[in-house]
Amino acid sequence: MTKMRSLMAAGLAAFLSATAIPGIASAEVTVLGWPGGSEETALRAAVEAYNALPDVADDDKVELLFFNRDGFYDKLQADLAAGSDAFDINLIATYSVGRYAPFMEPVDLGADAEKVFGKPILETMQFEGKQYGVPTDLSLHFMYYRKDLIDALMSDEGAKTKFAEISQKYLGEALEPKAPDEWTWNDWAVTALYFTKSVNPDSPVRYGTVLQMKNLLFNMMVFQSLPRAYGADWMDASGKVTVDSPAYRAGLELYKKLYDAGATPKDSLSYEYPETNAAWTSGQVATALQWNAAAGELMNPDTAPGVAENTAVVAPPAGPEGRKDHIHGLGLGLNKNSKHKEGAVRFLKWLASEDAVLAYAKAGGSPALSPSVVEKIAAERPDLVKLGEFAGSYGYVMNGATSANALSIYEVQAKEFTAYWAGQKSLDEALSAATTSMTDLLK
Amino acid sequence: MTPLVVFLLVFLSFPALVNIVYSLSDVTFQTMRAPEIVGLRNFGEVLIDPEFWAASWFSLRFGVLTAVIECSLGLALAIFLSPIVSRHGWTMAILMLPMMVAASMVGLMYRLVLHEFAGPLPHYLTLWFGTSPAFLDANNAFWTLVVVEVLQWTPFAFLLFHVAYISIPSEIREAAAMDRASAWKIFWRIELPMMKATIAIALGIRFIDGFRVFDNVFALTGAGAGGSTMSLSIYIYQSFFKGGQIGQAVAASALLFLASLVLLYGGALLHSRLGQRRAAA
Repeated sequence: MTKMRSLMAAGLAAFLSATAIPGIASAEVTVLGWPGGSEETALRAAVEAYNALPDVADDDKVELLFFNRDGFYDKLQADLAAGSDAFDINLIATYSVGRYAPFMEPVDLGADAEKVFGKPILETMQFEGKQYGVPTDLSLHFMYYRKDLIDALMSDEGAKTKFAEISQKYLGEALEPKAPDEWTWNDWAVTALYFTKSVNPDSPVRYGTVLQMKNLLFNMMVFQSLPRAYGADWMDASGKVTVDSPAYRAGLELYKKLYDAGATPKDSLSYEYPETNAAWTSGQVATALQWNAAAGELMNPDTAPGVAENTAVVAPPAGPEGRKDHIHGLGLGLNKNSKHKEGAVRFLKWLASEDAVLAYAKAGGSPALSPSVVEKIAAERPDLVKLGEFAGSYGYVMNGATSANALSIYEVQAKEFTAYWAGQKSLDEALSAATTSMTDLLK
Repeated sequence: MTPLVVFLLVFLSFPALVNIVYSLSDVTFQTMRAPEIVGLRNFGEVLIDPEFWAASWFSLRFGVLTAVIECSLGLALAIFLSPIVSRHGWTMAILMLPMMVAASMVGLMYRLVLHEFAGPLPHYLTLWFGTSPAFLDANNAFWTLVVVEVLQWTPFAFLLFHVAYISIPSEIREAAAMDRASAWKIFWRIELPMMKATIAIALGIRFIDGFRVFDNVFALTGAGAGGSTMSLSIYIYQSFFKGGQIGQAVAASALLFLASLVLLYGGALLHSRLGQRRAAA
């Protein structure tokens, strides 16, 4: 009897593994999305809208598949490399397009896609000139600042002397307080120093800023808008790596100056996204360069009760080359091993249409849209107006940042730059090591 | 017998064979199915990579220090708390609690506990002393990680030592006491030698666990500023997944395997020689 039960259980398991898993891939279009957060909620809403369309055949209906965020890209990489067909459409990001491109197929989204998103946004999903996905969500950075503190500084004539003294001491030039919209990186740095207790004991907050300096690739994305404003790029048109440049030096030195002066928390070398939010909501920080995704938390009185009403955002400060804002997109593209490519392409084309992006945005997604499209949802999602404006005006992608080794390059920079900030390497050593590794990775 | 052979072939031999091939190949995620054999190049590149040696040194220091501290504390606790734990069994459950938490959760928990604005520890230190150290900066991160590991795993050593300690027959202690041996002498001459095997096992297990540390370090500091908290496991993980250098990552794993083999074989040989010498004496 026991033997019979065991055999039946084994038979059932074999049946399930032989039918259920391939079933997911062949009966419908399966989309592997970014789990949790607004992206999942928005994708669910968009898929529901798509499946409800009268002209979508049963075989083309879309089914969603999510796995955990932890190690998502590692698992996706392993699945794609193994030739999995368990999903037809998968998530990609700007910095991983090149890595996943060999396992994916380009898609033609049609001429209208450019009208919906705009050219720079579509480029966040391109590799070697080919479109690999629909840009569903855009990430960039805001300079968050405390309105109450800056207003008080601007209206206090007496503070100008102190401000100029600090500026002279740390930057070698006497600057005056400016409105955040007019900040250069040096203006911001002096403002940060002015609001640092250890520099200015009269400061009402402990720190002038909070820098994300952990050895983490995403922190390099936050940092690089500073050198970019000074003209930095990963490589020039001839393919020569240009990380050892005056622009990168200016940015790295400014971060170190602020860290050494105590303008950012002592533990900043272990800070990333959540630590920055916690520092901000404590009410002890005057400015922070942080992802746009944090706006929902930092400007919401329920989640940031002490500071939300006084939190405002501007684009990152300007350098000699103007304001620059790192952008990268999350998107959805076609798995090369898909068993349902036609249906998958039909869904991707729909997802790049105006109706789809509006449904996606209404449900909480963060697509960067062209001005004519975003105005249709501006009343419900005013933050998307700023997102589109910053992306369109200041957005950039470094030369090589969609290559197959883009993630590894960010890793290299994170390791070398944090070594410099921590005082483990000189600037020359760090930049020399970064140049060697990047040259190897960008070959 | 056949199922066992099939099991070993499928689950051990195949991965081992793939690892050997990959360690001798130029292979990335794009070329996993068509690796190009390059001989011992990956091993050479790993051996001349200063990061590999820095990571090995981190793991070795971390493994030795945490094993010694955990076992010393565990032994002290086992002896001093033995009367209480023997009388009130429920206290053991409380002492074991840290072990029940997943290591990655411990890392995340301490990220919060040590955060200057959200964590209770910096809050009270600032309140009482006007300042709080940067627990996770490049200078302090190593010792912070050691303390976190010790706090989590000392109960494991304590558990082993407690069991060994209460297993010593009470008649032996009573006989020694009748011969007027002091408490220290009883411990040094009787209890400690009788717990020697347990101590060796505990040190070995804790060293292996400390040496291959990944979860809590990765959650707490990642590779650390400039790679200052990169353990060998993090090095292998980063080479494999982040760097896409599969051949080098597998070669580093193979080197680690060989080092472990030499260490274990050396330990076994030493143990056997000591046993023979003792028997001869």
